[in-house]
Amino acid sequence: MSPLLLQGVASGIVTGCVYALIALSLVIVYKSSDVINFAGGEMVMLGGYLGMFALLWLGLPYLLIFPFGALMIFIVGALFDRVVLTRVVGRAIPGQSILVAMIIGTVGLSYVLKGAVRVIPYTEEVRRLPPFSSGAPIFVGPVVLQHQDIAIVVAAVAIMAALWAFFSFTLVGKALRATSQNPRAAALVGIPVRVMSMTAWGLAAALAGVAGILLAPKLLITPDMGVIVILALAAAIIGGFVSLPGCVAGGIVLGVVQNLIGLYVSSRAISLAPFLVIMIVLLLRPQGLFAGKAAAKKV
Amino acid sequence: MYGAPPLTRLAPLALLLIAGFVLPLLLPQYFLYLGNFLMMFAVLALGLDLLLGWAGQFAFAHIAFFGIGTYATALLNVRLGVPFVVGMPLAAMLAGLIGLAIGFPATRLRTVYLALATFAFAEAAQWVFNSWDKVTGGPDGLRIAAPNILGYRVGTDPTAFPVMAVILALVIAATMYLTTSKFGRAMCAIRESEHVASASGIDVRSTKAWAFAISAVYAGIAGGMYTLFQSFVNPDVFGFQQIVLLLSMIVVGGLGSIPGALIGVALLGLLPEVMRTTMRGLLIWQELVYGLILIGAVMFMPRGIWGFIAGRKGSR
Repeated sequence: MSPLLLQGVASGIVTGCVYALIALSLVIVYKSSDVINFAGGEMVMLGGYLGMFALLWLGLPYLLIFPFGALMIFIVGALFDRVVLTRVVGRAIPGQSILVAMIIGTVGLSYVLKGAVRVIPYTEEVRRLPPFSSGAPIFVGPVVLQHQDIAIVVAAVAIMAALWAFFSFTLVGKALRATSQNPRAAALVGIPVRVMSMTAWGLAAALAGVAGILLAPKLLITPDMGVIVILALAAAIIGGFVSLPGCVAGGIVLGVVQNLIGLYVSSRAISLAPFLVIMIVLLLRPQGLFAGKAAAKKV
Repeated sequence: MYGAPPLTRLAPLALLLIAGFVLPLLLPQYFLYLGNFLMMFAVLALGLDLLLGWAGQFAFAHIAFFGIGTYATALLNVRLGVPFVVGMPLAAMLAGLIGLAIGFPATRLRTVYLALATFAFAEAAQWVFNSWDKVTGGPDGLRIAAPNILGYRVGTDPTAFPVMAVILALVIAATMYLTTSKFGRAMCAIRESEHVASASGIDVRSTKAWAFAISAVYAGIAGGMYTLFQSFVNPDVFGFQQIVLLLSMIVVGGLGSIPGALIGVALLGLLPEVMRTTMRGLLIWQELVYGLILIGAVMFMPRGIWGFIAGRKGSR
């Protein structure tokens, strides 16, 4: 393998890890309330701004801005579910799909978050966070890795592992899974379904926010950086949209494919890659690349 | 209400036509521009409402067909010298054919998956408008020649206004016939339940694909309308923002009703203009206010404004 190819794969894995985190956030929302969260990208953006705010204004140490940002965005997500979505679902008209109303609600949230950030005068200037850790790049064989890239991968893997442990071993995690599989049965065994829905939204929002803080040193923070959500959507679709491990694999596949297209086809085609991937996968294998058979839809 | 609509229901269309010919004599150009813009969006919204409000298919590709219609009409005119009266129907048919070709595979997918596939199609189409610069002019855009309709020169707001009004009136009339026809009832049946619809002998797949194609034809017509009053087009016109605006219009106005779509278009289409003129210093708040309106609409008026009005009338 040529060094160029290896380098492309390595940096694809780094960006893929971030896509995977945002994709996880989208899929957790989808599994809990059947909607695509079009405000997911704005939650990433909000994470970036909150991280910068905590670091530069509050003077928090770098490690503490992650829990700070995560907590704040958790509240935003949970409140949105409690205040807006509960009401939309509660007023559903029999026979008419509430999906459209819920999705328009998330679009509304995306405008509210973007608009709220834009009215803060501080955001007129484009900024980026200092790197999480700096130092001479590390050479692994022919591949050059920045400290920041390694930090991103380590943080993303740690978060994914924590998420896996949370869903597998803790009571709340198991209750979340039960609610996602069958809300009525979950309610019958005494799981507070409404609290679970809030938790899922909060958790998803927090994941997107942390992804935003991880991205902030690599990308410029602007109110419009939420467009990155399209890449996360593509990653989630590659993984089948209902599987958490699928998201991680999908994110990394997408990151690597994008880099290889940039290397061997043209840099212009990079931005087309996610859309082509979405269409091809949905038309040929709507269950995702990794699922064995079509995922059964819950009733 | 089924069968052909009674003539009394067509009366408002006569008003629209009269307004189309009288208003250009009375109003300043800025208002005529706004009127043209709203009439174009009304055709777009009626087309999207057929698919989303009547057939219940959650698709995002509408804006791509709008783009195809605009570029096709403009290019037929500029490159091949095809006159508008021929070029616009051709462009609308092209949009419809592409819609049909996309519709058959896409409508196999449901709900979120359909939304994502069509969203990806719309983004890919925008990428094509941007990258195929030999034909579309790429990001630099394309100049549109002023169309000539049987000797009547269009291309400015006052001259385009009557033509736009005629097209909109025809489209509204067509929508009335379509939604009260057998096809319209088939779409409603699919929206309520695909299983029940297919058990009653409705060919679900082809009805969905045709709804997709007809909705694309509407978007193609709106694309032709764009060339009547604008002299320039670039790919930014067909971005994701526009489809969100359209969706918001029909959801806020009320899904599955012609007055609802028109109310939504008028309200959300004029909102930025009203904000620009009355709250000049507060322009920066526009996004925030817009988001709050969307959230408020889905929270408090689940049937949209028209559903709210019609519901009150019904309960009295």
